Amino acid sequence: MIAVLGLVVGVVAGLLVRPEVPAVVEPYLPIAVVAALDAVFGGLRAMLDGIFDDKVFVVSFLSNVVVAALIVFLGDKLGVGAQLSTGVVVVLGIRIFSNAAAIRRHVFRA
Amino acid sequence: MSEQNDSNDGNGRNDQPGNRLRRELPAEVPAPAPEAGQPAAGEPQQRLTGRQRLVKGLWPPRFTRAQLIVAVLLFGLGFGLAVQVASNSDTDSALRGARQEDLVRILDELDSRTQRLQDEKQGLEKQRQELQSSSDQAAEARRQTAEKERQLGILAGTVAAQGPGITMTIEDTKGTVQADMLLDAIQELRAAGAEAIQVNGVRVVTGTYFTDAGKSVSVDGNKINAPYRFKVIGKPQDLEPALNIPGGVVQTLEKEQATVTVERSDKIVVDALRQAKRPDYARSSSQ
Repeated sequence: MIAVLGLVVGVVAGLLVRPEVPAVVEPYLPIAVVAALDAVFGGLRAMLDGIFDDKVFVVSFLSNVVVAALIVFLGDKLGVGAQLSTGVVVVLGIRIFSNAAAIRRHVFRA
Repeated sequence: MSEQNDSNDGNGRNDQPGNRLRRELPAEVPAPAPEAGQPAAGEPQQRLTGRQRLVKGLWPPRFTRAQLIVAVLLFGLGFGLAVQVASNSDTDSALRGARQEDLVRILDELDSRTQRLQDEKQGLEKQRQELQSSSDQAAEARRQTAEKERQLGILAGTVAAQGPGITMTIEDTKGTVQADMLLDAIQELRAAGAEAIQVNGVRVVTGTYFTDAGKSVSVDGNKINAPYRFKVIGKPQDLEPALNIPGGVVQTLEKEQATVTVERSDKIVVDALRQAKRPDYARSSSQ
């Protein structure tokens, strides 16, 4: 419950404050958000499986974000930033879908 | 991929969910998870369905360490999500998230578009200038034509005229003045540069003729009676001597016992008019 509240408060705060995104992190923010979404779905699935661990969640969340940003950064440096970020989004999207399928099985038994 | 899992998982789910899932998701659920992962959701009972665990996690709210940490992380996620969505949906800063090469391409396109529009603008401006100058020329031509029409109208007798000139009055008490004498007078006046002439309210033009009609004279078929009053526009200093030269019009008329008076005037108004007649056969040959 607290976690859901945290998410809601974060969204509201982001909409209300509307901070200026620094130009340095600008290309990485969308990828980082998608990576974090993937971690959240994984955590939700783990919770439904009864094997949720906060330490694992924190580590996977942060490492997901950092690795995603790193890949995009590297891609930008190599000149294939657009393609690489597309690849990252595709991979993360596939993982999110498979996690969502597992969650769906738990919640709806279907 | 998820569909495949779907059909495969149908029987394996109830037996060993943890093992199966762990194999699919090595990164998310490392080995120690089953032992350490219980405090968040699986504390009270061992065998709970996923749905029950979800409900338990949601309500009642508990301020455990895990919940708080997850809340902080989710706050970050929500914040980032909202910021990204907001900055992305800003229409004026649609280019903010664009990459360098995209920006360069967009800039190139804009440049070439600007070039094209500039060319188009130049062409249109040139066209406008041409149209303007041609319309100026047309207006000038119209003005000159109108001017010429007025001048020709004075000669043709279709418009009234005014200017310096003379008035010649011929008193003919005895009825001795003949048409040819008046014609002589007209010709003398024309030779002296008369530009517009009227006789007793009849405008004298190129085709004017004089005929005798008993004791009086008719001009272009209009009978006029003495005194004959000539209104002539022209240079008075030329007209008056032309009439008064020895053996000229005045002397000839006075020989016939008519009285002739010539007056100079600064303003003679010739306002007798003629209808403009369209010639039946002759057509202008100038284009």
